[in-house]
Amino acid sequence: MKKQLKLTAAAVAAVMAFSLTACGGGTGSSGSSSQAAGTGTGETGTGEKVTIKFANYALLEDAYTEFWEGVKSGFEAENPDITIEWVTAPYADIVSTVTTMAGGGDKVDMIFGEGTWTSSLVDSGLVIPVTDVLSQDYLDQFYENSLEASTVDGEIYTLPMYMSPFILYYNTDILEKAGVESVPTTYDELLAACEKISGMTTEDGNTIYPFGQTTASVAISGSAINSMVYNFGGEVLTADGQLSIDNDGFKQTFEMLKLLDEKGYSPENCKLKDLRNLFALGQLAMYYDQSWGISGVENINPDIISVTASANPLAGGSGDGASLLSTQTLFYCDNGDANRAACAKLTEYLMSDEVLGDYLNNIVPAYPTLKTMSMPDNPALQGSTSSIDKAVAAPSVPAMNDLNLELCTLAQAVTVTGTDVDTAIEEFRTAANNIIG
Amino acid sequence: MATTAANKVRRRTTLTQRQGDTIFSLLLILPTILVTTIFILVPVVDSVIQSFLDYKMKNIISGNPGTWNNFENYIKLFTNSKLGPAILQTFIFCVIVVVAQFILGMALALVLNSNIKCARFFRSIMMTPWCVPTVISALIWMWIFQPQYGLMRYIVSVLTFGQVTDLAMLNSPSTALLGIAIAALWKQVPLSTLLLLAGLQNVPGEIQEAATMDGANARVCFFRITLPYMKSVIKVVLSMAIIENFKQFPLIWTMTGGGPNNSTTTLAVLSYREAFVSNNLGSGAAVTTVWMLLMIVVVVVYNKLMGDNETS
Repeated sequence: MKKQLKLTAAAVAAVMAFSLTACGGGTGSSGSSSQAAGTGTGETGTGEKVTIKFANYALLEDAYTEFWEGVKSGFEAENPDITIEWVTAPYADIVSTVTTMAGGGDKVDMIFGEGTWTSSLVDSGLVIPVTDVLSQDYLDQFYENSLEASTVDGEIYTLPMYMSPFILYYNTDILEKAGVESVPTTYDELLAACEKISGMTTEDGNTIYPFGQTTASVAISGSAINSMVYNFGGEVLTADGQLSIDNDGFKQTFEMLKLLDEKGYSPENCKLKDLRNLFALGQLAMYYDQSWGISGVENINPDIISVTASANPLAGGSGDGASLLSTQTLFYCDNGDANRAACAKLTEYLMSDEVLGDYLNNIVPAYPTLKTMSMPDNPALQGSTSSIDKAVAAPSVPAMNDLNLELCTLAQAVTVTGTDVDTAIEEFRTAANNIIG
Repeated sequence: MATTAANKVRRRTTLTQRQGDTIFSLLLILPTILVTTIFILVPVVDSVIQSFLDYKMKNIISGNPGTWNNFENYIKLFTNSKLGPAILQTFIFCVIVVVAQFILGMALALVLNSNIKCARFFRSIMMTPWCVPTVISALIWMWIFQPQYGLMRYIVSVLTFGQVTDLAMLNSPSTALLGIAIAALWKQVPLSTLLLLAGLQNVPGEIQEAATMDGANARVCFFRITLPYMKSVIKVVLSMAIIENFKQFPLIWTMTGGGPNNSTTTLAVLSYREAFVSNNLGSGAAVTTVWMLLMIVVVVVYNKLMGDNETS
């Protein structure tokens, strides 16, 4: 009996050890076979089905799921030989998901993402120039500043689907009640308007904040602050990606943030979603956001749209109200000619007036990047239509997200910590130099 | 002559059996050795090697190995004034949560071990936070601490009769770490309580009775009998708490992202930012190596302080 027990135990141990070894070997082989399969179907070009692996975080967000599922069914119906296979992960994890997959030999074909990811994805060697997928004639139909925002070292690496600068959303009702006769166009006018709004409360007694600018520790807040630097005519990076903060506009931006905080005009250390919540609840009179941010506000309180309008970014210092151009884009990876051709077809389908035009008008308010597409007729965007002309395609570095987080730290230092602006800028310089190298 | 031959045969059989036992033992521990080597030792050694290399995302994708960069990752790490504060914040967070967790866990375990009504119900309901995923816990507490419309702001405002209306726990560099510690305690105390309760229920009642008859009061009974008998359980509870909080990442990253003004940037956050925000895996590995060395020191000191598991 004892001997039998020993034998059984030994057998179990051997099986476990063997299966571990088998697991190790299996991972490698399955990785390579998956790659071979993708390339195989792609390269045959004999009418076999091509599968596009499309990494898309938006699919996990309720507001956009229906649109993207509609794209899949509509495109597959028109192109029965092409299948879309979604690769999903939350927004914060999608880049690491696709790079990890690529490290294992399993590259996706397309990625839906943000223009700010471009430098980092190019540096990783994952994405290919758009000209490898789409013709120059097709690219000529896009607005130049949108393509400029997608360019690294002279090559266009991402196709901008739609774009927006950081625009000023405001609550017409609050401004009217406060006696603000015209919407501010400069930071001086903003301060005067804030003075009038300050002290107001909602009907249930909650504070109404005059102005909101996101500064919490998330990369998008860094982009918003970068945009504010452009409002003041300053810059963070030179065109060749070197740190450039010894300019008046940069310093004036943080002096303004400090002043707004000291006067209690701005809620401290907010994420964009906090500002959207406050705006939706009628507790925020004005705030900076990308055009599509308003759909988040509408989801919380649909009624707020009736008192929402937008204006061009404010001008400060020697600036003329320029702002940072944000884009939602498509990236491409190389999985062979057949897959690239399928990606081109999908892109043209996606960018068509019927598909994207409807999306921009009804789901995500934004400005089109295709010259042939008409501007959205969303009433909330009417006041800021000309902002797109002054929007700047800012230079970028591979560690742009980390640099954006340092911009947030700088803003937090002058607001929540109360550090003086010069000291905080010097601390930022040290941190930024370490990041840029 | 025949006896000697028989003895020889028996000795040979015994020797063979010992060898067989050795082989059998080796077979039994083979899976453990393989698992430890493949999933722990190899990644650790690989990470330490990467910390000396210029190793970025492009190396993973292209399959090219990293290149030796003359300790640049470490030089950068020790000169950028982020490592010191990150180590300090990691230790402060760990100490606050581990000490508070033990005290609260033990207090709750003592309450649940007494003959209170509905103890079983409370025990079940108490485990709920432990079952909630960490990221969800973080989101719940972010909403509670939200400075403009959060629940905590309202409660504090009511309790202070409207005197404090601007409580912003996560927005102040002096209180943000405490806010995260509260969220960590909410999530972790239930398991500690359950483990300590199990330990309490194994303390022999007759010894406590004898001590009481000899004149020992409740305090003496607790410190001289209950705690020593629970030493092995306490050691496990504290070890788990130290490890969990020394490496705490999702709670901090979700709630504050390391801010405001880097006041919650622990080693875990610093490592993530270097590796996955800056896409510099070599630099991230350097933080991880320093972090691992510190963890080893903490574990050695802890084991020294706690001694062996035997009750005296």
